Amino acid sequence: MNKEKIVISINDLNKTFKTKVSEPGLRGGLKNIFNPKYKLIKAVNNISFDVREGELVSFIGPNGAGKSTTLKMLSGILHPDSGTIKVNNLNPQKEPQKLSYKIGTIFGQKPQLWFHLPPIDSFNLFSKIYDLDQKEFKKRLEYLIDRFEIGEYINQPVRKLSLGQRMRCEFVLSLIHNPKILFLDEPTIGMDIIVKKNIRELIKKINDEEKVTVILTSHDMGDIESIADRVIVINHGTIVYDDSFDNLKKNYVKKKIIKMVTENEIKKINTKEIKIIEKTKYSIEFEINTKKLSIHTVIDYLVKENKVKDISIKEPPIEEIIEEIYRREEIQ
Amino acid sequence: MSILKSLSKYKEIAKINFKNSFVYIWDSLIGKSAFIALIIFIFSQIWITIFALKAVNTIEGFTLSMMVWYIVIAEAIVTSLGRIMITIGEEIKSGEIANYLNKPYNYVLYKYALTIGRGLFAFLLTFIVAGIVAYLTVGLPVIKLYIIPFVLVICFLAITLNYILMSIFGLFAFWIEETSGLYFIYQKFVFTVGGMLVPLEIFPLWLAKIGLILPFSYIAYHPAKLFVMFDFIYFIKILVIQLAWIVVFLSISLFIYAKISKKVSINGG
Repeated sequence: MNKEKIVISINDLNKTFKTKVSEPGLRGGLKNIFNPKYKLIKAVNNISFDVREGELVSFIGPNGAGKSTTLKMLSGILHPDSGTIKVNNLNPQKEPQKLSYKIGTIFGQKPQLWFHLPPIDSFNLFSKIYDLDQKEFKKRLEYLIDRFEIGEYINQPVRKLSLGQRMRCEFVLSLIHNPKILFLDEPTIGMDIIVKKNIRELIKKINDEEKVTVILTSHDMGDIESIADRVIVINHGTIVYDDSFDNLKKNYVKKKIIKMVTENEIKKINTKEIKIIEKTKYSIEFEINTKKLSIHTVIDYLVKENKVKDISIKEPPIEEIIEEIYRREEIQ
Repeated sequence: MSILKSLSKYKEIAKINFKNSFVYIWDSLIGKSAFIALIIFIFSQIWITIFALKAVNTIEGFTLSMMVWYIVIAEAIVTSLGRIMITIGEEIKSGEIANYLNKPYNYVLYKYALTIGRGLFAFLLTFIVAGIVAYLTVGLPVIKLYIIPFVLVICFLAITLNYILMSIFGLFAFWIEETSGLYFIYQKFVFTVGGMLVPLEIFPLWLAKIGLILPFSYIAYHPAKLFVMFDFIYFIKILVIQLAWIVVFLSISLFIYAKISKKVSINGG
């Protein structure tokens, strides 16, 4: 695979949304008819970046940062106000249909499978929509069914499948036409821990084995931790970080949040290295600085001192990492 | 070749939604059909009374049986598409339409394929339910069986024309934001000058003339009349005019859609 080939290239991209502001009350309503007021929201502000073939890029930021807007411009759904976009050598706004054969999309909130019909019907439909040669399609489908282990339930109505099974089928559906680039918008939103883990493994697999370039958006640090090579952090429409995940972690992610539930009453923990967020008789949630205290030491201590019922380690929320990035920039 | 291929695409979309409609078959049967059965029953009672009071065999060329079977066909066509105009309007307002832009199909045609899949199903269902009520009140229609395929073609085109007109008004949501008012007006036009409630002959001459010129009558009046008074020349005439209206309005709809799709804006996180 040619790692150097650039498949996505965007330059000075801008997008502003205009929304009507309505004033309360009858007077406000009338005023609105004759003199509508608009509020301009700058969703994407002068962003530029390139993506190479086979890369797995995580696009992260808080809600409303401009992630989905960028993704929608990349996939030809939205038109930018200014700037240039090239995806697979095509202009997504001028040739969205041509591009559609080369890209696959999964929008977490918008399933593409037919809810009341078995997945196989949706697969067949997509084979027609994408003008696939039926022989090739059968082969491809067989391969994907095997790779994603969905053979058992492709003949059951989607509504009877579990969320995890459904997502597997969504992935197969989005890959059926052999896309070169996959856009995933919040693919793990609203899922429990186990399904999330499953989906992350799937994404990794698609990127590794199918050689598909993957761009995904998320506001869940866990997603990025387990899959991304490269992370682009966006906030208020501007890119604040674009580098490898390892660097992000080394430089900015210094905290972990540990939550523990015990059978015994929790004793006071005598160290200044932790910051307690919440404590009750039988549960505690606190933050540790991993630069000063290793997770290993903390967990060892906790398990030795307590009868642990449940314990979890969480990443700090994305907002805190962005804050940290800003703080660093100010210092520099 | 490429036209054939793209036709097979839309055929497949229609097929899958036809299949999907079976999931709701009981909902449709109980809810919608009960309502339509009631309408047909009421109308048949009204016509029975009118014919009895006037002590005539025909009114404006229609016998009692013709009148009732006329409404059966007109109802089945007009109600088959449901509120597709409002659906399109809402998809534009919410920005959901954008999700169709990066698929290798045209939204207006895609929605047509989806709608016609369910629409044909609804048409058949309504025809059967309404037909049973009509049979119980005025007996079987006096028609020759060989006309059925010809009438079906006209009904199919009528449903298509209805969809295309509704798609145009639905797309207006891009400028006016609320299409339920438009839908209400549109529906009343089809009910009256379209001839869904009564044949146009019942109206004053000037109104009937206007109705005959407008495209709405090719959705309800002409197909329903063809069923009860079949005539081959009449069939050809309806067919040609229906196709002409379809070409005209489809071009308008596709043109508006092409304009809109460049300006779609949706909010994203």
